[in-house]
Amino acid sequence: MNRGSDVGFFVCPYPIFDTRTGSGFDPEPVLLHMPMKRQSPKGRPNIVWAFFSSVKLTVALLIILATASVVGTLIPQTEGVAQFAQGLSPAMLKLFVTLDLFDVYHSLWFRILLGALTANIVICSLDRFPGTWKRFTSRPKPDREKPFQDLAEEQTFVIHHPPADVTERVHDYLADKYRKPRAREVGTERYFYGEKGGYSLFGVYLVHMSVLCILVGGLVGSFLGFEAYVNIVEGQTIDTVVSRKERTPIKLGFGVRCDNFTVDFYENGAPKEYRAEVTFMVDGKRAKQETLLVNHPATFKGVTFYQSNYGTVPGNAVHLSISQQGKAPISMQVEPKTPYPLPGGEGTFSIVDLRSNIMDIGPAAMVSVHPEDGEEINFWIFEYRDRAKKILPGPMLNSPKFNASAYGPYTFVLTGLETRYYTGLQANKDPGVSIVWMGCFFMVIGLFVTFFTFHRRVWVRVSDQGQDLVVSVAGTSSKNPVGLERELNTLARSLEKLLHKDPRI
Amino acid sequence: MINSIILSYTTFIYFLAFFLYLLFMVMGRAGFGRLATLVTLLGLIAQSFAIVFRWIESYQLGIGHAPFSNLYESLIFFTWTIIFLYMIVEWRTKNRTLGTFVTPLAFLAMAYASFSPGISSKIQPLVPALKSNWLISHVITCFFGYAAFGLSFALSLMYLLKQRDTPLRQNLFLRLIPGQAILDELNYQMIVIGFLMLTLGIITGSVWAHSAWGSYWSWDPKETWSLITWLIYASIIHSRLVRGWRGKRIVFLSFIGFCCVLFTYFGVNYLAGLHSYAK
Ligand code: HEM
Repeated sequence: MNRGSDVGFFVCPYPIFDTRTGSGFDPEPVLLHMPMKRQSPKGRPNIVWAFFSSVKLTVALLIILATASVVGTLIPQTEGVAQFAQGLSPAMLKLFVTLDLFDVYHSLWFRILLGALTANIVICSLDRFPGTWKRFTSRPKPDREKPFQDLAEEQTFVIHHPPADVTERVHDYLADKYRKPRAREVGTERYFYGEKGGYSLFGVYLVHMSVLCILVGGLVGSFLGFEAYVNIVEGQTIDTVVSRKERTPIKLGFGVRCDNFTVDFYENGAPKEYRAEVTFMVDGKRAKQETLLVNHPATFKGVTFYQSNYGTVPGNAVHLSISQQGKAPISMQVEPKTPYPLPGGEGTFSIVDLRSNIMDIGPAAMVSVHPEDGEEINFWIFEYRDRAKKILPGPMLNSPKFNASAYGPYTFVLTGLETRYYTGLQANKDPGVSIVWMGCFFMVIGLFVTFFTFHRRVWVRVSDQGQDLVVSVAGTSSKNPVGLERELNTLARSLEKLLHKDPRI
Repeated sequence: MINSIILSYTTFIYFLAFFLYLLFMVMGRAGFGRLATLVTLLGLIAQSFAIVFRWIESYQLGIGHAPFSNLYESLIFFTWTIIFLYMIVEWRTKNRTLGTFVTPLAFLAMAYASFSPGISSKIQPLVPALKSNWLISHVITCFFGYAAFGLSFALSLMYLLKQRDTPLRQNLFLRLIPGQAILDELNYQMIVIGFLMLTLGIITGSVWAHSAWGSYWSWDPKETWSLITWLIYASIIHSRLVRGWRGKRIVFLSFIGFCCVLFTYFGVNYLAGLHSYAK
């Protein structure tokens, strides 16, 4: 009954059962190696302690948390709430609001669930740690009989002409391959003990502590950090951002200037890259220069800036053409909010409002004419007049407010509008991030240790039977019985070889 | 587009493999089993080449990126991981019965990718948010997780079927399935591998989200559903520690877990969110 030789390399780190033989497998739980105490450390039975140290509670909490999260993805959170709420009856709406169902993940009850999970983890760990520690530090007696019951046949072998130094050889071998080697002689029998992988007992604690670490990191972030945004026009410097949730301004304590913004497109018109060049300013002096791309944020004084959107605003140069019946039109470039004389000297005009895109028509400017005598006249002019005629309703088009010839004999034409980009940045501060990453790191290490390392104890019994020596190998493992069997086979074959080899010959 | 041609052939190869595994279990002839393994391996190799070709082709088009960027490519990769993982399990356990339950998953995923009218097999350029080295590690870990959960699902099905097997009943198909204790243990091992991979997937996803959108966790539906899946599998791992929770209850939870995986993968596209590019 050979369980198959060890496959030379371990592609799948977790040993998988050999189903050809299907025997030697014990379906009893092997994980509950520590008795569950239902008492506080002082020995007093305690209902609260028993409740929070129960793994049943863990399973219940994990499933409840999962269900609550499902609810949160089915009911709109933040976006689309108003629309959803309209479809509800007043009583239902009240229920939803009372239960915080429009913000499940930040609601009090969700946090209470997380708190219960935390208490569960902490108390469960405290409850079990003494047992684990005892198991880690204990040195079992070498001359135990129990492990040697029901041995598979390949775990026992006979040596016919044993060498004199059997004890040394076995002991040295175990001392080389295992920790805490021990030996004892009882009558005609010699016993040896060794173990390995004791640290694997702590993997579970590492996993559970990492969960706490991540929760703490999240809490730190939600109390000490902020999520905000800001738009910066090319050339502009800002020192305040707007919080995303409360819409309140937050002073940064330093300035951010957008030096330049560019968008690249693929041939099919899809955006390829957004690039914002920014300079961080402290006390009006340049402190650091950075390029922000999507996926490429920059951090300054604990605040991280991410490229998130962009847009355009009108710039400072407006191109106009003023025509008069029977005369050549006059082209000019003007700045907004500045008065210019009319071509005939009847008064002045200025551009009082500029939009880079109004009602999807495109650029528009509001002209304000101040005649020497008479009232001021305001009207909009568009760069794309044909589009304006299509989009604007008739009565509106005919009103003086949209008549480019409202001040005769002149007709104002908008021929061009300089636009400037602004970059929309997210500005986040989260002092909890490094704690969260630390938790993630420990979780991965902990999972590896828990799943792929094992605490194994082995016993070797050497009995003198006249001329012969009967050697038996036995062991226990925290889990993974097949891996243990492989290990014991390897140990038996190595010892067999070791004891056959007689240095005197 | 040689890769698309190879990929549509692999769909049929996996179907053939399923057919051979089924014949092997119904007729009990080891020869069919060996042939099934051979055909599956052929499919896996062909698919590996197709994925590499697709990668190279995307560079020739000047929009080079790893082939994991849309639903078509992700389905292809999902199939690849599930077959890859299955081949390892078959090799380690020397048992072919699982193949009958796994190859249909692979075949269906491939067929959906190749023949669904809504899914384009064209190589598309990457939108800026996807341009990150984290994309590769995120996708690989997530999909190995999904594949392990897929195997766990198949093993759970086998567990339920095996329940109908009694010594009196001379049903070859059922008799070839390994014993329930072994299925249970193997199922647990798949869940463990899946859980580790999903954990890594969520972490790499968070790191990426942190660098792309400025926060490592924003309760976006896809993120939330992967957390739900993670919680379900964590509860499976723990329910084994409560005495008596073996076998059927694990099977039941494993079904729920796999439904969550499927919803995380497909269903979430019907809820709006950051990941909706996957459409
Ligand atoms: C989301 C949170 C949790 C995660 C990710 C987690 C993860 C794990 C993992 C991976 C194992 C190892 C299972 C194995 O060896 O096969 C484990 C074992 C265990 N967990 Fe948790 N756990 C969590 C919460 C909890 C809580 C709240 C408790 C509180 C009672 C708990 C109690 C235990 C116990 C008692 C074990 C068994 C340890 C042993 O093998 O001796 N876990 N957990």
